[in-house]
Amino acid sequence: MADEKKGCMTCGGGMCGGKGIITLKEGAWSNNPLAIQMLGICSALAVTSSLANSLVMGVALIFVCVGSNLFVSLLRAHTPPRIRMIAEVAIIATFVIIFDQILKAYFWEMSKQLGPYVALIITNCIVMGRAEAFALQNPPMLSIVDGFANGIGYAVVLAVIGIIRELFGTGSIMGLWEADWYVGNLIMVSAPGAFIVMGFVVALFNKLKGPDPEENK
Amino acid sequence: MKNSNAYTIMYAAILGVVCALLLTATAESTKERIEANKEAEKLKNVLVALKVPTQENASSEQLIEVFNNNVQMEVKGEGLEFYYYKPEGSSEPVAVAVAFEGKGLQARIKGFLALEPDMKTIRGITFYEQAETPGLGGRITEEWFVKQFEKKTIVDADGNPGMEIKPGGAKAGINSVDAITAATMTSDKVEYMLNVVIKKIVEVK
Repeated sequence: MADEKKGCMTCGGGMCGGKGIITLKEGAWSNNPLAIQMLGICSALAVTSSLANSLVMGVALIFVCVGSNLFVSLLRAHTPPRIRMIAEVAIIATFVIIFDQILKAYFWEMSKQLGPYVALIITNCIVMGRAEAFALQNPPMLSIVDGFANGIGYAVVLAVIGIIRELFGTGSIMGLWEADWYVGNLIMVSAPGAFIVMGFVVALFNKLKGPDPEENK
Repeated sequence: MKNSNAYTIMYAAILGVVCALLLTATAESTKERIEANKEAEKLKNVLVALKVPTQENASSEQLIEVFNNNVQMEVKGEGLEFYYYKPEGSSEPVAVAVAFEGKGLQARIKGFLALEPDMKTIRGITFYEQAETPGLGGRITEEWFVKQFEKKTIVDADGNPGMEIKPGGAKAGINSVDAITAATMTSDKVEYMLNVVIKKIVEVK
């Protein structure tokens, strides 16, 4: 992707050449970080016990991924290769801590529920992976699209797992709807339930996506 | 040039300073609110331990108001904080909470131990600051664990001060509760810090 440097100045031939759409589709769907690449599983299992948690975590990842991709891409020509990973982590950590502080200041209850998992986005393989695999080789605009696409891909899968776990675990959805006759199913809100739901969601995702054309070469 | 040591060091230094500045700006601008939230969290835990009725989803300001109207703080002995619950209109306290803290496995644990006016029976307990292993020691804040303490006493059957946190299934005494499986270190440390504060309570009472 890096070899094609023609096109308009702002996006280096990115959006204009239809690359933006391709990048968006790849990140959110055909190369979904969670369901296809199997990255960032730790947080996906840990915070999905309710829909609200999943959504906030999804927003956090979109914010961090877009921000870090943008800056890694802007600095890519100046970053010494030897310390590029350290530089990436520094940028990622900055964004994560900013988000965490905002959460602590304005959404205290939510921040308490998510506990250490927001800070752990620093080590989330998706963010680092996108910086390393995409932002280092691509212009800023396209990198933003890629960060956003992967963030959305992560957030949507998280939300789906969150809905299923909250619905079957407690019989409610974000306090908007509640079935008082439902007896809570503890396994769904605990860790094993996360694995089970995750497995089904990934299977369904792969079924819908269809077989990988490159797999049977 | 990009590979020279001097450039690499310069780059790292500049990036470091820029990131540090951004973080400092964020921390400074959110500090006040975060401190207020932490303070409200602390007061809320006093109220929960004392079983002071509060509105569900009460805001920080509302909690502080309830706290100011119902609870009086007094420092006794060597900095031991006593929080007396005197419902509006009554002169005698109906409960008292004592702040305790101690070393946990990962970080310091802070909490409140609320007692009935007899100063022996436990009314409630809360842990408001802890960073124990999530899912293991972190379970000290879960309802099943803290509920166990209610109606237990801080003295044993013979009147000696002290509490026990024993492995589950052990014969439960009037001053013992079940420990958390796979969190022996946390359980032992909580037991230790409770016994330290219980000793002090018995001394100053």
